[in-house]
Amino acid sequence: MRFLAVVLRHTCRNMLHTWKSQLMTLCTVGLSVLIFAFFYLIYFNTLHLGEGLGNDLRLVVYLDEEPAQVLQEEYARRIEKFDRVERLEFVSSKQAYQRFQEQLGSDEDVLVGVPETFLPPSMEVYPVRSLDSLSRIKRFSDYLLTLPGVLKVQYGKEWIEKFYSFIQLMRIVIILSGFLLIMTTTFMVAHTIRLTLFARHKELELLRLVGATSSYIRMPFLAEGALQGLLGASLGLAALAVLFNWTRLQFAGPAAISGVPFIFFPWPILFGMIAAASLLCALGSFSSTRRINQI
Amino acid sequence: MPLPDVMIDLLKVSKVYPPDVRALTDVSLTVRRGEIVFLTGMSGAGKSTLLRLLNRIEKADKGLVEVAGIDVTKLPQRQIHLLRRKVGMAYQDFKLLPERSVADNIAISMEVVYQTPALIEKRTRELLDRLDLAKKYGTPAEELSRGEQQRVSVARAVANSPEILLADEPSGNLDPETTALVMDLFNEHNRRGATIMIATHDRSLYQATSHRVIELRFGRLRTPQTRAVDNGTVPDDTVAPSLAAIEEA
Repeated sequence: MRFLAVVLRHTCRNMLHTWKSQLMTLCTVGLSVLIFAFFYLIYFNTLHLGEGLGNDLRLVVYLDEEPAQVLQEEYARRIEKFDRVERLEFVSSKQAYQRFQEQLGSDEDVLVGVPETFLPPSMEVYPVRSLDSLSRIKRFSDYLLTLPGVLKVQYGKEWIEKFYSFIQLMRIVIILSGFLLIMTTTFMVAHTIRLTLFARHKELELLRLVGATSSYIRMPFLAEGALQGLLGASLGLAALAVLFNWTRLQFAGPAAISGVPFIFFPWPILFGMIAAASLLCALGSFSSTRRINQI
Repeated sequence: MPLPDVMIDLLKVSKVYPPDVRALTDVSLTVRRGEIVFLTGMSGAGKSTLLRLLNRIEKADKGLVEVAGIDVTKLPQRQIHLLRRKVGMAYQDFKLLPERSVADNIAISMEVVYQTPALIEKRTRELLDRLDLAKKYGTPAEELSRGEQQRVSVARAVANSPEILLADEPSGNLDPETTALVMDLFNEHNRRGATIMIATHDRSLYQATSHRVIELRFGRLRTPQTRAVDNGTVPDDTVAPSLAAIEEA
């Protein structure tokens, strides 16, 4: 307890003593977290959107003839082997005819004289709803085409490919902004701590002379780094929350995106980001204080 | 663990500063528990270097240095705190933090051993009172006179009641009255069992002392040849070799 109290007292004293550089570091960390969290929020919402759109995700596989029960089971086995599917439905020519008839509604008389088997039998494959299945849909389609008896595979090719490209782009942006976050937080904090160490070199030297252990000298700096990460990340995420709510209010009316269910990060993700930023800053601080032993 | 009887033990210790300044040459010395030893000699004789070796601020190039049973020359960097918690040192250049208050400068040595704030304050006030600095409790160290700074440095050295006390020119900036206050404090610690080594060239400190006085000359410990003065001993300057003779040797 005494150790913790001493660490806290020293940390607060350090931070007050160098408040100008602390403030700059805090702003930099906050801004980095804001940038990263902004892109991550877009990605997060896109994933969320993708899951919703996944309801329409379906591959229609047209077959050259009505598959017998054994063949149906063989198709199902091969498909399951390639990828996980939520559901697999076989639609006979007659069922397809009936569906078409229902879709036509009052215009069903146009089908008079048309044989009930004029539509080809098909399989409807519903992949598991996830972004991975979305990204693999083209490969899935290519695979299904290789199965014997398959004439054609249909899916919402264009939007899926665009959506997938967007997701890929977002992934790259997130990786880059994550890299930026890591660089800025660790380097800025390491730099600030190094400046503090330099400014307080005499005091640290004196602490050594009066019998302070390395951990006694080092811990306040590690705590300082972690605190900078905690405060900076909280600041950045709070700014993002304000920005998010403001944007939602702005587009609440008749705007095109008003129907899109945008959501903010849930608490576990928020805590995760704050913890990660604190850890990164503590690491930055750790790298600067390694030489304390040599004082 | 019982305290060793020999608190400071130096055996053929040498220290050379680059490029080739011989600060100490083959110094051998034993100081027993509870002794007060005055280390005298001209400026540059090696007094401060010897004290710095004892506190492992410097490392000996050759020889054995044992302090409070710890082999200082082999002590790893990460364990230096074990030695320094046993050794209090008042530095010639005071080593105060100029912007921090007098109280903070003294408290620092007690904080590192996790004394409670109440105890730290009590002890700080008591020491300042003893050294006639009670009114300077909250004054920044940079606003003190050199004599006051010196006393703060002494107070910090004794604050933890160390087993060994090293004082480097503790009266260099003090008048006779304040010198007496400092010496009283040292004597009191000595009575409580502390071993004390005082490096000084202030004759008034050791002129009438009954304690051991040893002299360093050009980095060598001069064979103690003493003559009685009143009831104490002082080094006999008449037997010291002349500078020319040493240089010749």
